[in-house]
Amino acid sequence: MSIGQRVEALDTWSSHPLFEQRTDLCSGNEMAARAAAQINYHLMGYFPITPSTEIAEYLDEMKAHGEHDIVLVPADGEHSAAGICFGAAAAGGRVLNATSAQGFLYMLEQLPVQSGTRLPMVLNLVTRSVSGPLNIHGDHSDLYYALNTGWPILLARTPQAVYDMNLMALRVAEHPDVRLPVIVAYDGFFTSHSKQRVQYFANREAVQWFVGPVRKAEFDLFDRDHPVTVGPYMNEPDYIHNKYQQSLAMYRAGEVFAEVAAAYARISGRYYGALDTYRLEDADIALVILNSAAETSKDAVDALRAQGIRAGVLSFNILRPFPVRAVQEALAHVQVVLVAERADAYGAHGANLTHEVRSALQAVQAQCTVLSRVYGLGGKEFHPADAEALFQICLQAWRGEAVPAFDYYGVIAGDPAVRPPRGLKPLAKEEVSGFVQVTRDEKTGELIVKVPPLRALTAKAKRLAPGHGACPGCGIFPAIETFLKGIEGDVVVLYQTGCAMVTTTGYPYTSHRVTYIHNLFQNGAATLSGVVEMFWERKRRGEIQIGEDPTFIMITGDGGMDIGMGSALGAAMRNHKLIILEYDNEGYMNTGSQLSYSTPIGHMTATSNVGAAQQGKAFHHKDTPQIMAAANIPYVFTGVEAYPQDLIRKAAKAQWYATHEGMAYGKVLTACPLNWKTPDDAGNEVVGLAVKCCFFPLYEVEHGITRITYDPEARGERVPARAWLERMGKSKHLLRPENEALLQAFEAEVERRWRRLKAKHEHELL
Amino acid sequence: MQARLPATNRAGFFEIRMESIGGLGANLAGKMLAEAGVLKLGWNGTFSAAYGSEKKGTPVRASIRFADANHPIRGIYAVDEPHVVAVFHEALLQSQDCTAGLQPGGVLLVNTAKAPTEIVRRTGWRAGKVACVDATAIAVRERTRVNVAMLGALCRVMDGMPPEAVMAVIRETLGRKDAALVERNLRTFRAGYDEVRVEDMAPAAAEESGAATPATADRTTPVLGYRNQPQGGCIPEPGNSVWRDLSASRQGVLPILRLESCIHCAACDQVCPDLCFVWTAREGRNGRVFQFLAGIDYQYCKGCLKCVAACPTDALQAGREEDGYAEAHRTKHPFAFA
Repeated sequence: MSIGQRVEALDTWSSHPLFEQRTDLCSGNEMAARAAAQINYHLMGYFPITPSTEIAEYLDEMKAHGEHDIVLVPADGEHSAAGICFGAAAAGGRVLNATSAQGFLYMLEQLPVQSGTRLPMVLNLVTRSVSGPLNIHGDHSDLYYALNTGWPILLARTPQAVYDMNLMALRVAEHPDVRLPVIVAYDGFFTSHSKQRVQYFANREAVQWFVGPVRKAEFDLFDRDHPVTVGPYMNEPDYIHNKYQQSLAMYRAGEVFAEVAAAYARISGRYYGALDTYRLEDADIALVILNSAAETSKDAVDALRAQGIRAGVLSFNILRPFPVRAVQEALAHVQVVLVAERADAYGAHGANLTHEVRSALQAVQAQCTVLSRVYGLGGKEFHPADAEALFQICLQAWRGEAVPAFDYYGVIAGDPAVRPPRGLKPLAKEEVSGFVQVTRDEKTGELIVKVPPLRALTAKAKRLAPGHGACPGCGIFPAIETFLKGIEGDVVVLYQTGCAMVTTTGYPYTSHRVTYIHNLFQNGAATLSGVVEMFWERKRRGEIQIGEDPTFIMITGDGGMDIGMGSALGAAMRNHKLIILEYDNEGYMNTGSQLSYSTPIGHMTATSNVGAAQQGKAFHHKDTPQIMAAANIPYVFTGVEAYPQDLIRKAAKAQWYATHEGMAYGKVLTACPLNWKTPDDAGNEVVGLAVKCCFFPLYEVEHGITRITYDPEARGERVPARAWLERMGKSKHLLRPENEALLQAFEAEVERRWRRLKAKHEHELL
Repeated sequence: MQARLPATNRAGFFEIRMESIGGLGANLAGKMLAEAGVLKLGWNGTFSAAYGSEKKGTPVRASIRFADANHPIRGIYAVDEPHVVAVFHEALLQSQDCTAGLQPGGVLLVNTAKAPTEIVRRTGWRAGKVACVDATAIAVRERTRVNVAMLGALCRVMDGMPPEAVMAVIRETLGRKDAALVERNLRTFRAGYDEVRVEDMAPAAAEESGAATPATADRTTPVLGYRNQPQGGCIPEPGNSVWRDLSASRQGVLPILRLESCIHCAACDQVCPDLCFVWTAREGRNGRVFQFLAGIDYQYCKGCLKCVAACPTDALQAGREEDGYAEAHRTKHPFAFA
């Protein structure tokens, strides 16, 4: 089938009632989820990351209402998500995943393993810029890391194409000649979140018919008569043959895609060639540009054509394998081609696509100038006027004017006299010292802490400045500031990715009055370990002249302690002199409230919905303080803003240990009015109730000895769990009669953990 | 249902921009409006929104683009030259350039209790119709959200958008939840539709719109480029977020401080997420120096009222925010700049 062949020419079955289609207004993520639900995959292993997260959210919501049977496995990070998918694909069922940006890079290690092992699945890559600095918006820098993974890559320019490509991708992946995992890539936000007019099959049976039953693989893990070894140790001379097989399968995937696209056109009326070309037949100048920006460029083509300029656009429906012949046919007659790329291959004089197009044209000795521009990084919008500006560069080259072969489009120099908005004077020593005292009783070894009243502590400077962008009533900041009231002197903070990080450092503003560092989500404890050790080494070498040593504090959410648990435990094993303070708001709130392992059972989040078929989260909350206590670090504690003196006292002790002995860890429960569905002013009281119902006991573990610092039972202040649960929109469904068993399971778990804690409090050897 | 597009621009689009803050439901309103156009009236249409992250109270800008059924809408980019701008939160008129690019003869719709002439005075925009609806009051009355009241008003000012189309979408969207909610929302919609006050500020300007050059929204150019942006994305200016103004996050209420009944216990200061409380050191009656609460820096106050909940006396009370109150009663933090 040649490029540009129209759908109307096809022998079509699309009028058959089975293939009836419905018109709707949907986003790319909705269409990816709809396709997945209609396919009824066996399993999805995933970890939330913007902007791909919605796919898992929509699927979870549909599942709560009984609309599909996909097993949704929330992983502890993308590396694990990819591992879950690898295992599930090896085990023979249909497997789906979705990710973006850093999440994709975190699973990158797994991807060649899966293509080399020839385990088909479908991964939706909702493209987004790669850090750092952290940016959640759309570009193709993650996609460019996918190019060499050995996964065929299909591109979707619109929500419609997201649906269509998801259906086709599975057939390509499972084809016996291919047997490779396939990526469907579309633009974060521009395509993933914008709603456009779409059509989809009204009957799931149509989709089931198209994808067919799961194709039997050569080997079945559960065929007990034929045990198989998956993933051997393979050296020379065998390895290269596995790779050659893979290379052949990849090229074959291009042919299979053409066959599948033809079959799909017959039932849907929508045909996808290897390329998408627009008014290219007689074009003198052309843009080569991927995904949503190609659509925008078509408007610019129409405008230029109206002025008599013969412009055209080329975009790709399949990027791997690279459709070299189609590119040659489409572009050989064009005078000037500009390859516009939403990513850079730093130092390569043009990103990957530039060189692939250039080499394709060189092979046929095309007399064509190929220019290269990097544009639209980090979600920078691309308007028709921008496409026109790129065409103007083509025209300049065509007229023989000198234009750089490679450059960035859309950057400004800036006036060197202009700086970021002016900041505050550094905190003076006396503003942050001399308020809280910690002494050690020489006889008992016990730490004695003196904390002045809150009123006196208002004289102690806050390490944060106002002006952060958190939601009204956010519990994170009172927790951090109350904790910091107990910390004397200089501090260096590291914030893991999360609400507190994003809301305090939106460029070019920072709310941090002290030195702050952010690396990425899961790697804070390792990063701060490096900072701490370098501090001591530079001090030892006499390179740092400092009066008083700073205290090193990592601030993380409960999400950071899921994906970053390994890193935190590594730091604990090494026992660096630092503090980890976890603010636990029971979910991944920064990405839109997905469940975390700290979310209690039955609680509603965007990935633990409530419906006829599902009542919130399916498993119990993680007991992170006990995990950290088991790492045998000197000091572990819990706290809440509702008991400020208790939290300040613990902060002071944590500082003492992080100065004298090693690592301290504390978990603070913090309210999230938006996602707990509580009034903005209720946070203090609600976290207080979590303490009083013994869900979140206040205690410390000092050198392995547990001490409950506030015992609501002993004080006659204990309330039943329902008194806490009924205050939050995310949990009040647990009080309905039909959820009695779930409520009892939660109460029993809370009671069991509380009793064990009491026993530890009473016996210092426990 | 059939209806014609109220107007189209050079590209063949009718364009609407919503200016809101996270939490007011502009996203849902935009989605419902776009659905009404596409699914009920058979137009082509797109809906997209730009926001920072999943935060309540931060500015949200939503774009709706309609075209005739067979006219393609290919690109997804923000609406720069809208026919209608709907401002969901009055405070945004101060902090955002809401009328940027608004076409002559277009409509500026604002959620406000004020009259259109007052909005003209504030924005300086008088090139078309100015419409005012007290969507907040309607939402409070019906125990719903401002978004549906705004939709009602939008439908009225769009001139050609049949309200039945939007009401059908409201029924379908909210009907899944419960019937009483649907009824309240339909009442909210009708109230928005009925209560909006529209004044044509420049009938003459509207007639000349063909000749007038449409203004284009300023797509904010950064002041920091590749020559002056500090290396590595670092910000060498500690605490410079104090320049930011967060008052647009408030939704009509704020804490009111009566210092005469304050016991300076600092409970408010401890629970405040936004570091709004300003203290001074003074000699007490016994000659010792104590900390005294001086006031609230409303520039950072998002109106969560946690301080009111925490206050053990009646020194802090919730109050409806009157125009100019925060500016007049603000106690500025005494920042020392580097």
